[in-house]
Amino acid sequence: METIIETRHLNKAYNDRVIALADVNLTIEKGEFIALLGRSGSGKSTLLNILGGLDAPTSGEVRIDGKNIDFSDRKSLITLRRESIGFIFQSFNLIPALTAQENVEYPLLFNYHDRTTRRERAADLLLLVGLGDRAHHYPREMSGGEQQRVAIARALVGDPLIILADEPTGNLDSKTRDEIFSLMRQVNRERDTTFLIVTHERELGKRTDRTIELLDGSVVT
Amino acid sequence: MILGKLIDYLKVSAHQVARKRTRVFLTALGIAIGVAAVVGTVALGEGVRYQAVEAIKDQSDLTLIEATADIREGAIQFITPAKIDELGAISHVEASSAVVREAYTTKRQTYLEVVGIDPGGIEGVIQPEFLRGENLEPGSRQAVLGHDVAETLQRYEGVRFGDTIPILVRRYDDDGMPVDEEVQFTLVGVLQERDDAFDQVMLIDRGVAQGLRGDETAFDGVLIRVDQPEEVFGVVDGVKDLGLTAKGAFQQIESVNRLMDVVVLILAFFAGVSLIVGVLMIVNTMVTSVFERTREIGITMAIGASPADVIYLILAECFYIGLIGGVLGDLLGIAFTGVINTFGKAFIIAQLGDTFSTFAEGDITLITPEILAIGMVIAIVLSLASGLYPALKAAHLNPVTAIRTGV
Repeated sequence: METIIETRHLNKAYNDRVIALADVNLTIEKGEFIALLGRSGSGKSTLLNILGGLDAPTSGEVRIDGKNIDFSDRKSLITLRRESIGFIFQSFNLIPALTAQENVEYPLLFNYHDRTTRRERAADLLLLVGLGDRAHHYPREMSGGEQQRVAIARALVGDPLIILADEPTGNLDSKTRDEIFSLMRQVNRERDTTFLIVTHERELGKRTDRTIELLDGSVVT
Repeated sequence: MILGKLIDYLKVSAHQVARKRTRVFLTALGIAIGVAAVVGTVALGEGVRYQAVEAIKDQSDLTLIEATADIREGAIQFITPAKIDELGAISHVEASSAVVREAYTTKRQTYLEVVGIDPGGIEGVIQPEFLRGENLEPGSRQAVLGHDVAETLQRYEGVRFGDTIPILVRRYDDDGMPVDEEVQFTLVGVLQERDDAFDQVMLIDRGVAQGLRGDETAFDGVLIRVDQPEEVFGVVDGVKDLGLTAKGAFQQIESVNRLMDVVVLILAFFAGVSLIVGVLMIVNTMVTSVFERTREIGITMAIGASPADVIYLILAECFYIGLIGGVLGDLLGIAFTGVINTFGKAFIIAQLGDTFSTFAEGDITLITPEILAIGMVIAIVLSLASGLYPALKAAHLNPVTAIRTGV
């Protein structure tokens, strides 16, 4: 197996006092489907933000796809987000002014893809998430589950190695939650995309390859 | 590539703008009123300038220029035969003729302003219409009188067409004492009234005038006829390039232009003060918009937008505000000038007096494509400038906090 995410002695403290992460050492293989469990305040989101290059650790190392991440180099962090990472958020966070199709295309706008490629890729992904017929609907015209499907398509459009999902089912009812979860699992199997899913629902943890649990910033073993 | 990206940004921003069209429209209206004020006042200024220049063109012989000696860098640039040839070679010069200027008196002490010129020059440059008689014969002591001076001589001295005019030419003897020599000129022609300086002038043969002066090589100037009124200023520049001074009716236009430049600038400046209000409205709208979309901007950065991308997206929205503001401003400006033409014209004409009575026929304002283009440019540039602060503010957001705390 190929290691895709590796952290060594990762620490994160806010204002030198509040410790969010304490000596986190992780090794995640390519294609793994992992649930990141823990109560609120346990450092799950902080870990996710650091792995996605949105936040910088106080100390320690992060290697993504074999490359050390230099958190002081803003350009390389942007490149990381554009090329290697896809984000899914709890509250969907689609751009309200754009249609489903445009929302999925949106990340490619910053990645220098031509219009035809963007359109084709987004259309394919909307089909994949089962929303081929809703391409020209605006977020406000869609249900929560549909919006999250669009968000999954958007996360996939840059063809990332890793999808970081922060409570992707937190705002959904249980039936929709299962659907979204199955969709992510399907994508994981079909495309060999690594998923790291933050959740506080242990139930879902059972349906993943592996769970990582955080408690007060440390990995529970 | 860059252009394609720009179009993509504009497309995304078009969605954002379309979503809050009432707000965008009201904001654009703010800048539009400023633009309309500038367009209106500048159009009024340009209209007055245009009418004044037209009045001058009507009332004077614009295409006639006189080149005279000038002092350049401490040295006098004389009119030499070489210069005369060079002046004649300037493009759009239809005809030119060297002249000598003299002041004679009649025996009865009537002052005469005299221009010595070749008969051919009279034909080609002065282009006279004879009320009576005809042109000079080369080399002979004949005179052609301007309309007004002919009238004066007839009334006070009884000189009629065909008579000889006794003229005293002042010379200096060997001791430097003035001696007046009497010379007889035959009046062979009288010009029709021209409403210019030639109404007061006696035209004689240039060789004769030079002979009387005792200097065959002296020239006082070169009269130039330009082929078209539009080319006058080009020819004037050509004359100045030769180191000479140019005089003529065009100088009135120059003074009008100089005055109107200042007037228009000051008017536009004060009208432009209202643009400040428009700018503040855009800043306010965009700051609010950025604040409302804090989370959206955070998301945009999380999915791969660089701070520069965020700046471009915000500025693209400002571009639309500017575009709408510019179009509205130009339209309002045109409406504003319409109001001036309908209601303000009578008042302005009354203030200007008879000289500018020609104003009554045309519009007192003048909208040119340039003025409208400047209105557009002002609106767009100011909108982009106003968006800079909100855009930078957006670009400096921390994506993590923006997503967590954003509304």
